[in-house]
Amino acid sequence: MRSKDQPGGRIVNVAIEISNLHKKYGHHTAIHDLDLRVTAGTVFGLIGPNGAGKTTTLRMLLDIIRPTSGTARVLGQDPRTAGATLRRRIGYVPGDLRLENRVTGHRLLSFYAEVSGAVTPETIRNLADRLGVDLSRAVRTLSKGNKQKLGLIQAFMHTPELLILDEPTSGLDPLVQRELLRMVREAKQAGQTVLLSSHMLSEIQQAADQVAVLSDGHVVAEGNVASLRLGSIRRVRARLATTDADEVRARFAGAGGSNALGIVSGANGVQVSGTVEGAIDPIVKTLAQFDVCELTVEEPDLEESVLRLYGPPTDATRRSRSAGRYADRGRHE
Amino acid sequence: MNSVPVFRRSIRESWRGLIGWSLGLTALLLLYLPLYASFGTDGQLQAIIDALPKGLTQTIGYDQISTGAGYAQSTFYGMTGFVLTTIVAVIWGSAAIASAEESGRLEMDLAHDISRTQYVLEQALALLVRLLWLGIFSGLVVWVLNEPAGLGIHPAHIIGATAALTGLAFLTSSVALLAGSMTGRRAWASGAAASLAVFSYVFQAVAKQTADLEWLNAISPFAWVYRQSPLLDGVDVGGLALVWALAALCVGASVATLRRRDISG
Repeated sequence: MRSKDQPGGRIVNVAIEISNLHKKYGHHTAIHDLDLRVTAGTVFGLIGPNGAGKTTTLRMLLDIIRPTSGTARVLGQDPRTAGATLRRRIGYVPGDLRLENRVTGHRLLSFYAEVSGAVTPETIRNLADRLGVDLSRAVRTLSKGNKQKLGLIQAFMHTPELLILDEPTSGLDPLVQRELLRMVREAKQAGQTVLLSSHMLSEIQQAADQVAVLSDGHVVAEGNVASLRLGSIRRVRARLATTDADEVRARFAGAGGSNALGIVSGANGVQVSGTVEGAIDPIVKTLAQFDVCELTVEEPDLEESVLRLYGPPTDATRRSRSAGRYADRGRHE
Repeated sequence: MNSVPVFRRSIRESWRGLIGWSLGLTALLLLYLPLYASFGTDGQLQAIIDALPKGLTQTIGYDQISTGAGYAQSTFYGMTGFVLTTIVAVIWGSAAIASAEESGRLEMDLAHDISRTQYVLEQALALLVRLLWLGIFSGLVVWVLNEPAGLGIHPAHIIGATAALTGLAFLTSSVALLAGSMTGRRAWASGAAASLAVFSYVFQAVAKQTADLEWLNAISPFAWVYRQSPLLDGVDVGGLALVWALAALCVGASVATLRRRDISG
């Protein structure tokens, strides 16, 4: 594992370091200029909608696919050149896990146990009991959830230094999802590093220390879960003691913040409501130009923040996203 | 770590199929070869063949049927046995990489301590061992039936015919392996391998029709090993070496190709 000198003189072990990573498929760019750093011994969440590039990123770390440009270092080595022995130190659950063999779960797991080294039958049995899967059945006859459990067992069973889990809860019922999150926490306590992707924010919220939000092949936000929630998005609701909605609109337009806000005049004044992205200060200053009867500024949950950050994939939003990304990073680092 | 895990898994997962194919080949041999004793030896069979158009008998390779060796060559090694081993070579060859990739198994395997080179080589070895088994097993059945059926085949020639039949099947499966390495798609793998086998057969059959088209033999692996009947005259060693060398080349190219590209899911 690689050690990095931090500006403060602190030494931090880096489990995964990705810089300027690009992946192109023909003319389509799946990953743009990706930078990520996962500190050893932490749980790192990669969130984003389907097609954001999560699976592509994770597969590049396993050398299943190769980057078009840029570098990735996993446990201090380049996956492209480190060879198969590096992957022995990694447990991986593919995003699209399909097991279509006639072999039993036992057979499947003992094959991977044989390849990945020291795994006792007891470990496999314990994990199978914990997740609740019958290992004597042919894997292709299992439900999606039970196949996923086999995928998880093969990733966890050899206690790898690094776990790369692509949508690990997919197909699992809520109880097993909770068990998996417990397993992730235990792995962290045991000093293992976990990189997991999800489009379910709640599980990232429960499990991850650090989060990167991926959209359209870019990191649109990153930080610790708490700071991301405190990020740049706030839900604002205010009632102003004026009847002139046009005047309010004009003032907000001048402050550059009217687009996201609904401004309507009602019986008790003008209602201003909406979700604000970026600096809150201009909004507050503009509101303060009127008599404010009521004001609520809420921190939305992660789900809403991220939905807001994704936006529709137009050039304009991409520009604003990347502006937000730097603003966000500046604030949290 | 135990060695060759992928090879051992492939064998373990296909031994039932292997037994099935062995029984199929045995049935075929038991059906055809004893017939020679009943009506091949007294010229009856030759009379039937003579009644057929010459072009047809030449095309399907029945022109040498008057001897036991020619009969076994025409009915089994050059026809039914070739078809059966080709089918199995296409199925196993396209399963080795292309089907594994389509089903997501290759991604799972390569995410473990298995290198791409190792994966291809172990799969190629598993193909070779299974096809060799089928070839040797068939050869043994022919050897056992040789005397009772009155075929009069020189036993050493059975070895050459076995090497020829197995070589053709291994070449077919190596082409499937290579196409699978290049595309990761089963349709391409089986398409490429089946095309090789079909064209290989068709070219030599057409080449027999007219001297102008004899050059087609030069691009037909079937002709390389079977133009000189292995059971009758001994196998053409040069042609045999060419088939095996080409198969080895395809395996090498499969390694190089798979190492270079992205694995699709």
